[in-house]
Amino acid sequence: MINKILRSILTVAIIVQIASLLIITSVLYRYFGDIQISQLKDGLSLASRAMEQLGESYLESLNYDRYRLTWVSSDGKVLFDSHADAATMENHADREEIKEALTSGTGSSIRQSPTMTELTIYEAILLKDGSILRMSAKRDTVFSLVLGLLQPIAMILLIASILSAWLAHGMAKRVVEPLNKLNLEKPLENDAYEELSPLLRRLHSQQMEIKSQMRKLKYKEDEFDQITGNMKEALVLLDNTGRILSINPAARKLFNAEITCIGEDFLTIERKLNMRLALEEAKKQGHADFRDLKKGREYQFDLSRIDSEGNHHGMVILAFDVTEQVNAERNRREFTANVSHELKTPLQSIIGSAELMESGIVKEDDVPRFVRHIRSEASRLVYLIDDIIQLSQLDEGTEMPHEDVSLKVLAEEVFEVLTDAAKLKDVSLEVIGDDGVVNGVRRLLYVVIYSLCDNAIKYNIPGGSVKVSITQKTGSVCLSVQDTGIGIAPEHHEKIFERFYRVDKSHSKQSIGTGLGLSIVKHAAQYHNGIISVESKLKKGTKISILFDTKEQ
Amino acid sequence: MRNRFDEQLFELNREIIEMGSMCEEAIASSTKALITGNLDLAKKVMSNGYMIDQMERDIEGRCMKLLLHQQPVARDLRLISGALKMITDLERIGDQAEDIAGIVVFLGGRTTNGFELIGDMANEAIEMVTSSIDAFVKKDVELAKKVTAQDDVVDDYFSQIKHGIITLIAENSTDGEFALDLLMIAKYLERIGDHATNIAEWVIYCVTGTHPGRCKNDLVCGG
Repeated sequence: MINKILRSILTVAIIVQIASLLIITSVLYRYFGDIQISQLKDGLSLASRAMEQLGESYLESLNYDRYRLTWVSSDGKVLFDSHADAATMENHADREEIKEALTSGTGSSIRQSPTMTELTIYEAILLKDGSILRMSAKRDTVFSLVLGLLQPIAMILLIASILSAWLAHGMAKRVVEPLNKLNLEKPLENDAYEELSPLLRRLHSQQMEIKSQMRKLKYKEDEFDQITGNMKEALVLLDNTGRILSINPAARKLFNAEITCIGEDFLTIERKLNMRLALEEAKKQGHADFRDLKKGREYQFDLSRIDSEGNHHGMVILAFDVTEQVNAERNRREFTANVSHELKTPLQSIIGSAELMESGIVKEDDVPRFVRHIRSEASRLVYLIDDIIQLSQLDEGTEMPHEDVSLKVLAEEVFEVLTDAAKLKDVSLEVIGDDGVVNGVRRLLYVVIYSLCDNAIKYNIPGGSVKVSITQKTGSVCLSVQDTGIGIAPEHHEKIFERFYRVDKSHSKQSIGTGLGLSIVKHAAQYHNGIISVESKLKKGTKISILFDTKEQ
Repeated sequence: MRNRFDEQLFELNREIIEMGSMCEEAIASSTKALITGNLDLAKKVMSNGYMIDQMERDIEGRCMKLLLHQQPVARDLRLISGALKMITDLERIGDQAEDIAGIVVFLGGRTTNGFELIGDMANEAIEMVTSSIDAFVKKDVELAKKVTAQDDVVDDYFSQIKHGIITLIAENSTDGEFALDLLMIAKYLERIGDHATNIAEWVIYCVTGTHPGRCKNDLVCGG
């Protein structure tokens, strides 16, 4: 800016100087030219008078320093010349000023010398005797004048230029200084030129707009981060070249990636073949999905292309954990298969026995044994069906009547029923602790304690013990059943609550049970907002605890 | 101009990762085919072998183009020259996976039953390849160094398997051809381990500018 101002001021100054010099020179040149011509004319007319009175002798007496005098006869022959020998001069009749004087009495002309540096001014007058007197003077041309003036002009120009440059520089600086001092962060607080105020106001409003836009953007971003940060599903956004634009914490955990992976190629965090194929497919078709095991869990990956106005902008990758779902599906399939199997086995046994009896193969003595077998198998079926009904009731979550139940009383009731079984196995039963009042479904709680104690006796060692302890605290009741039995290996802890799951895979008849007991316990506990935990060591015993939350009731 | 160059480096990086992924997939599949006797899987590995070769040529072409047109320096030059070396090793890994698949087909469904050691060795080799590619992806020198150390484990497995096979032949409890095939597979796996080590070393070179296996006056050391 300073440079521009400086340059324009300097240019103007130089142009003005040159122009004024030119104008002054030309005006003065013409003025002095006019004066010279009139002096010449005056001189000539004086000379012609003197000539007429004094004759040729006058011509010779004159001093010819400043001008030249020529006397020409009417036919053009030179009679006298102050600067040359008249006899050698050519005829002057065709000279312009002579011709003019011959016709109109006076004549004048200006001719340039061959070197262009001088002009010669001629004035001629017709004398009474018909001859012509011519006076001429020399004068510098504009060109030679300027040539002579060149040095002083250059000096003046140089000095003026330096001076104006210095002044212009200072001025430009002064003009620009307020502009340089402008505080663009706070445009309205500036004390600058008035002409700038619309600009500053505009700047201010734009700044405000940008700020509010930024706030909005930040807010949106925070919102997005909050949503994606708290969701369990892994979410990754890619741009159209496959770089990661955004990745939420769940996805970072899933792909083992750092936050620094943003901006990197997605392949740097996941390069498996099925993902690459899915990415390609999604790029072409707009959508792709596949399931894959990752970190021991099954994930469903959904890839969708982001399109807008026909352009491909990027990709969304969403991954969610479907392990539970897959397990549930598998459990359901297994449950159906197991139920059919469990129902079929006793029935087949009943049918077999009945057919044998029907065909009369069975001896009279064996009939009671066969009948007993049929009865026991049938009652096993009933137990099984009872359990299944109970489970399906729990699955459906049907509302059942609630009442305050003392777990200790229930445990004592259970013990009465199980005393015989315990004696048979030589297992001692003990219940200790508080009353443990829980608001719940009496029948279900009974089943819970019964199943746990039944298992504790069944899987105990001779001479072992079963201890039920109940601890009541404000807001919670803890029920735990501890045995000194065979224990459960840690890998089975999760699965013992699954339907028909048995640690002993052989489905042996040795341990009588439907395989649904603990499953019912789990569902019944969940129905009462209870949390089940298992502590067990092989050959040391098992402790199953249920923590009932009583605050809400 | 610079942007274009960065874009091409990005593409190069991606292609190397893709090629690495293809090789991982190839050995994993051929090992699985070997253990389960799945002939279809083995044939698939063999028929996909050309893709890795194609990829190698593509990357090679890209590297040459980058070297000629962009005249890269320092880090970029190391990445490109490292890539040129790495793809050779990756391609060899792919070939060896293919060869293992070939033997699996030849065995005609016979599994390595009773020779679990070879499965363990394969897993170790796969892990080495995966780690070396991970090291490249993350430009992780520590991981790369770990890979170079892991090579001894694979070599150990190889000698164990060799001795096992010698005992088997001495006891005359297996036929010689099968034993030799097993030895070949073990050798291929051992070579895969070596190639993974090479890749890891080139990763170290790409990042630090010094190749661990070279002497000081070497050109690639930059010293």
